[in-house]
Amino acid sequence: MRYNLLYITFLFTITAVNGQTSFQDDTIKINEVLITVKTINLDLPGYKKATIDSSVLNNYSHGTLADLLSENSGIFIKSYGPGGTATPSFRGTGAGHTQIAWNGININHPMLGQSDLSILPAGLIDDIQIFYGGASMAINSGGIGGIINLESKPAWNTETRISLNPGIGSFGRYTGLLTVKSGNNNFQTITKAFFQSAENDFRYLNDEISATPVWETRKNSQITQKGFIQELYYRRSKNVASARIWYQSADRHIASSMLSQQTGAGETQSDESLRVLLNYDINRDRNTYSLIGAWLFNRLDYSNPLASIESKNNSDFVTLKASMERRISQYTRFKILINEELNAVKSNNYEQTSLRNTTSLTASAEHSTSERFGISVLVREILDKNKFLLPDFSAGLQLQLIDSKDYYLKANISRNSKIPSMNDMFWLPGGNPDLKNEYAFIYELTYEMIHKTLTHLTFSYDLSVFRNSIKDMIQWRPGQYSVWSADNIQNVNTTGIESSLSVGYKLNNLTTDLKAGYSFTKAVEETTDESTNQTRGNQLMYIPENQLNISLRFGYGNFHTTFLSDFTGKRYITVDNSKYLPGYSISSVSTGIVFKLKQTLFDLNFDIDNLFGVNYQTIAYYPMPGRAYELKLLIQIVK
Amino acid sequence: MKNTLIILIFSVVVLSCTKNSTSETDSFLTGNGVFILNEGNFKWGNGSLSFFSYDSAKIYNELFLDVNGRPLGDVPNSMIINDYLAYIVVNNSGKIEVINRNTLESVATITGLISPRNMAVISSSKAYVTSMYSDSVAIINLVDYTITGYINLRRSSETIRVSDSKAFISEWVGGNEVMVVNTIDNKVVDSIKVGAEPESMVIDENKNLWVLCNGGWARNNYAELYAINTITNMVEKKLVFQDKTASPTCLQIDGKGETLYYLEKGIHKMNINSGVLPALPLIPESQHYFYKFGINPLNGDIFITDAVDYQQKGYVMFYKNDGTLISIYTAGVIPGMICFKLNGSYIEK
Repeated sequence: MRYNLLYITFLFTITAVNGQTSFQDDTIKINEVLITVKTINLDLPGYKKATIDSSVLNNYSHGTLADLLSENSGIFIKSYGPGGTATPSFRGTGAGHTQIAWNGININHPMLGQSDLSILPAGLIDDIQIFYGGASMAINSGGIGGIINLESKPAWNTETRISLNPGIGSFGRYTGLLTVKSGNNNFQTITKAFFQSAENDFRYLNDEISATPVWETRKNSQITQKGFIQELYYRRSKNVASARIWYQSADRHIASSMLSQQTGAGETQSDESLRVLLNYDINRDRNTYSLIGAWLFNRLDYSNPLASIESKNNSDFVTLKASMERRISQYTRFKILINEELNAVKSNNYEQTSLRNTTSLTASAEHSTSERFGISVLVREILDKNKFLLPDFSAGLQLQLIDSKDYYLKANISRNSKIPSMNDMFWLPGGNPDLKNEYAFIYELTYEMIHKTLTHLTFSYDLSVFRNSIKDMIQWRPGQYSVWSADNIQNVNTTGIESSLSVGYKLNNLTTDLKAGYSFTKAVEETTDESTNQTRGNQLMYIPENQLNISLRFGYGNFHTTFLSDFTGKRYITVDNSKYLPGYSISSVSTGIVFKLKQTLFDLNFDIDNLFGVNYQTIAYYPMPGRAYELKLLIQIVK
Repeated sequence: MKNTLIILIFSVVVLSCTKNSTSETDSFLTGNGVFILNEGNFKWGNGSLSFFSYDSAKIYNELFLDVNGRPLGDVPNSMIINDYLAYIVVNNSGKIEVINRNTLESVATITGLISPRNMAVISSSKAYVTSMYSDSVAIINLVDYTITGYINLRRSSETIRVSDSKAFISEWVGGNEVMVVNTIDNKVVDSIKVGAEPESMVIDENKNLWVLCNGGWARNNYAELYAINTITNMVEKKLVFQDKTASPTCLQIDGKGETLYYLEKGIHKMNINSGVLPALPLIPESQHYFYKFGINPLNGDIFITDAVDYQQKGYVMFYKNDGTLISIYTAGVIPGMICFKLNGSYIEK
């Protein structure tokens, strides 16, 4: 029992930055020259992709990806609260089925096979694209739920822009973001540095340890985080070369559950990562070539002095990507991509340094018979550990319903494979080197429309229906000698509906933007195993069936304000669905004023998060903070 | 009509609010039965208390929550009954819940313990509590429920058995010793070297201490069963499991102190005077996942827990002493320790 506990302790204590608050950041409008660096723009016909609006992204310049996605997308974020891990559940799938990519490179932790979104600062990112289900296959394999791609990209202009953005907030929170952008039409340098320190010593009502609820102060959830991104871009003719480096570290204390009444657990975790990305894009008449080389280093040290656990884990990930895209005709494109990945992990929880090499070859084609009809096909073959996997594929179909009107119907079907994480294979004890890959059949149908009813009014709406049928899903279960081990034993079906609505109105100095998103997700285990008769047909734990996000933004002259509200439905906390955490609705408000003194622009923001002080948990017995305040100032000089 | 409807709704609400009242709980808890401590998952906080009633031949789940209005805690590991009180050691909550054995109402909560595992009552005012993650055994005052001191063993501690004025405490995790503590002055007086990872212990009718050494998860050592004279602290017998993959756990003894039982791919049974380990199990594991079990000290009934997949609710299986299955009941998640609550005169229903 104790060994599986050690594993679980390790697995679930990848803790995090707290981002209790959402920020209203700079909304400075600067006319940017068209970006020509190659970004992820594989909008194959028939697939669903969403982009997080830059105005939304600006609100979270001091927040984390966990905050941003939980309040602005249908992706459920399973958070252990401030100082704790936050992992995504995309369309009812597990955290390992959502891939976080940085300019198309998978940055999920190779040991865990998942990302802790609470230590990914949103302020370092320029653009976020969400590729749903099969759409993710155009980038990488394994994102069964989807891929969230974080972009760093230049603005080709001759300005030099320096931004300093300090903040102070409740629960001992201090943040800072510095951005320096400079260059000309051929060369750009961008430097961003981020710092955060938070005590996270919020008060919460503990009604779990005594008959009478008592107010307690959250302890042992401090965090300090720092990081920077340096980007260099050079373009000549139609070719662009870039070098990007992203370093970040997070030192965290890990808070225990509300049920713990023991003293001095003292768990801590230290994360460090260095990501280096080199990219060269060559644009010829009909052909586009792209070469990407990336090296990712991750260090993860977990310490529990009480239990005498000192877990030290280093991993290196090297990937090389080469692609060629050929435009055969005005309506037909063909692309071929070779991807080579090497993982190396050195851990005192592995028997030895463990290596894994994976190569894949992807061919995709896109054809439109007219402006109104498009079709795309993708085929991928993966060579993993010198064995060829069954080929993956994806096919999409897109139809413009009315000529010259933005009403679309999209449909796609995919088979997507996910290879096991390094821990699944090599963790000692319990790792299983003989694991097969997981795979899923993904079906999706989407209706999208954009409509301009008046000159100043824009209306857009989409509705999607999806189904993921995940096979050979890896699960850790007790085996011989009470040691838990990984095996391909679970089949899971997730089905659901996603819908979003956006209404924008602009007139003179007034800007109004309403966004609403709703998702319904049903995720059930489909297994023939007799021993799981209590679970068959039940909703999986910690996957809400209902989620709703609403945001309303106003801008008038120099003033701007945003109101956000998100509802998360009940989440079952037992496999037989006999117990659940109640749903909750959290609202926040942010307001600011922009003013200019000579060449310097100021944007002063005040935010209130959890406006109504709702007492809630996203994971049982891990409290979330009540009302929190934050003051933030952006100072920007443009020359 | 409107008034009738209001009265009806009111009645339904009132009746709904009175379920699981103390009077109902009393009806089965005052009789003979078996407490099942459901460990729940580590860090999930879903530990719970179940009770199988001999009188009604039914199982009652989630009793601590129903009676006290709050969860039992994270990984309740062990339970003992002493006089009219029951003590539940909740490992990852670092506490001991003290409850009335018949009503289950909370009497006190002893907090501030480090990873507590098992408890032994030494006297009417003193108890020892072992600890997985500290190097000391905590001394508890049973009058005011406070920690009054520690016995530094310089190693972690698991099972504890008391004979006369000696407490025998095993070092399970990575250990191979049984420490001997004088219960009068709380001093370590001896240590007895045994096999790798002494996991469970019992004392027989001859006051011999039986120590089941699991051998460790990596299977670098053979599992062993030791008999130790509690007067001399000397090893009197050592039986070695011939198969290195054998990983026996959960050593138990019958009420007379004559017959040993343990878990190793089924329930095995052996007389304390036997010179060899039993080759075949009394109750084979077959399709179940046996996790813990207990032997009724009065009639020898065997209650075995099945943890299934460690996520869904497990089972408690009721066997007669000859291995005949009587019934299977659904308990909580990871049903673990079995604790008998018998009123002395109980023989067999």
